[in-house]
Amino acid sequence: MSGEAVLARGLTRRFGRFTAVDGIDLAVAPGEIFGFLGANGAGKTTAIRMLCGLLPPTSGEATVAGIPVGRRAVELKQRIGYMSQRFSLYEDLTVRENLEFFGGVYGLSRHRIAARVAALLPYLGLAGTENRLTASLPLGYKQRLALGCALLHEPRVVFLDEPTGGVDPLARRRFWDLIYEQAAAGVTIFVTTHYMDEAEYCGRVSIMVQGRIVALDTPAGLKATTGGRDMQDVFLRLVDR
Amino acid sequence: MGPLASLMRKEFLQLRRDHAMLRLVLVLPIVQLLVLSYALDNDLRNVRVSVLDEDRTPLSRGIADALWESDVFVPGPPLASGDDLARSLKVGRCDLAVRIPAGLARDVAGNRSAAIGVHVDGTNSSTGGRAAGYAEAAIARAATGRDGRVGAVRFFYNPELESRLYMVPGIIVMIATIVSAMLTGMAIVREKELGTLEQVLVTPLGSLQYVAGKSAPYALIALVDLALATGFAAVWFHVPLAGSPLVLLAGVLAYLAVTLSLGLIASVVSDTQQQAMFTVWFFLVFAIMLSGFFFPIENMPPWARVLTWLDPMRFFLAIVRGVLLRGAGFGDLARDLLVLAGMGAASFTGAVLAFRRATS
Ligand SMILES: Nc1ncnc2c1ncn2[C@@H]1O[C@H](COP(=O)(O)OP(=O)(O)O)[C@@H](O)[C@H]1O
Ligand SMILES: [Mg+2]
Repeated sequence: MSGEAVLARGLTRRFGRFTAVDGIDLAVAPGEIFGFLGANGAGKTTAIRMLCGLLPPTSGEATVAGIPVGRRAVELKQRIGYMSQRFSLYEDLTVRENLEFFGGVYGLSRHRIAARVAALLPYLGLAGTENRLTASLPLGYKQRLALGCALLHEPRVVFLDEPTGGVDPLARRRFWDLIYEQAAAGVTIFVTTHYMDEAEYCGRVSIMVQGRIVALDTPAGLKATTGGRDMQDVFLRLVDR
Repeated sequence: MGPLASLMRKEFLQLRRDHAMLRLVLVLPIVQLLVLSYALDNDLRNVRVSVLDEDRTPLSRGIADALWESDVFVPGPPLASGDDLARSLKVGRCDLAVRIPAGLARDVAGNRSAAIGVHVDGTNSSTGGRAAGYAEAAIARAATGRDGRVGAVRFFYNPELESRLYMVPGIIVMIATIVSAMLTGMAIVREKELGTLEQVLVTPLGSLQYVAGKSAPYALIALVDLALATGFAAVWFHVPLAGSPLVLLAGVLAYLAVTLSLGLIASVVSDTQQQAMFTVWFFLVFAIMLSGFFFPIENMPPWARVLTWLDPMRFFLAIVRGVLLRGAGFGDLARDLLVLAGMGAASFTGAVLAFRRATS
């Protein structure tokens, strides 16, 4: 068995006659921050949903955290965390209630939940908000809470689908600090983004166009091969081609 | 706390914060019970009878008086001719018209047969038929001088044949059905619309746990509503709880398993709350019509009678009426309880499988 945290071979998803993800291959090492870039509609979310076991692939296969996706679903779910593109925690629960709920459905013991919540609240910068209704939080806080809910059960691989969409640079910076810390602790981060400055923070980056991965390398490597000044430039050159 | 308990706790927390919904769910059923019980009261009274008396004898006048004396009838406008009679019925000036032909007294005295015409507005076949029956009995009594004690009918359990005693349990059944099926009908599809379902689906929570956790809070609400409605019916309408509350509870639990699960299935197969709502209503109308609430099952054509065997409401209605009005026990209702329990188990399994299929 390979040591890769995420491995995809010819992963494909069609919706009717439309191919949203077209035979992608990739391998992500444990503890890596892997950037998944692409224009809107490129197929990033569809690919991530397949890797999380939320959507069956039309063809191809994937292994995540050592588990073949599609079989042994419960084991897979115990080992991965997922933050969907759209904020999807319960707005009518408090911060603490959301954390406790997800701790509970992941099967953590009461003590474990208490300890994890106590540790995560200050870590996420959410101390003092625990009894506020989630609906009343600013988006940046909600995103960190969603990250917390995805990290509660200490997954080995975390999928973050546009985790910083729609917030200011400061809030994005805070979020990325958390991502770095998680990666340093050995968690594999698989992250999609629209922001090209964020792409610079990734260990390696793949660029997806119309369901295909057209480039995959370190930010420095991509700049060298395409001749782009920065990631923005690289992206435009690759997407326009 | 296990995954199932966490899910239930979450559902209760959300429900507790939804004050508008709580108010609706706890107050509306009582309003419904009150309004419908009065509105659906179909006891016969104030039926307007007009008499075309072409005989004009003491006997013919006696017949008219006998009709008007009864609680059921009130005098309608007088009639001048056969044409007048037809017109009056047609335009609704009276509900029932009686034509006493000339020579009636003579025929009766001579022991010859006589024909008194009873004309009924049959627009409402049920009340029309019953009014005609009352009228015939009253006429026969007046014409022969004998009251109808020969072969008198006695009604058991509902001695006054009060329709309310019969209707109230039916309304209670409807309330339980609507509350349970509607709420669960919204339950899963709402999470789909909000996107929260996706976040739950990446957790190891199983289909069985999910379906059970989703039903539990709504089962509790339905139980509270049922307790309120039954208590209210007893205090306000004097509908007796003649039988054992345990038998009733057994029926209620089996029935709720059916309605909650069917609601969840509707929720699983729908993409929007409107779709779910429509699906639930569609089946609800069938269930109500075939349940025997409005139309007695014995009066249905054979194919429809067969269909009623698929209608959980039919069995639940039989149980509620049986326990409340007749004091029926486990033994008397064994068939209905067993069928309902079977349906409950089947629909719950169906809901779990539907959820599993839709999400993997
Ligand atoms: N459930 C679906 N049914 C049909 N088409 C879909 C579905 N989900 C995604 N698509 C289509 O697949 C394409 C890729 O979508 P998505 O993976 O969301 O892209 P991205 O996340 O890169 O913006 C889009 O054109 C989208 O309309
Ligand atoms: Mg997307």
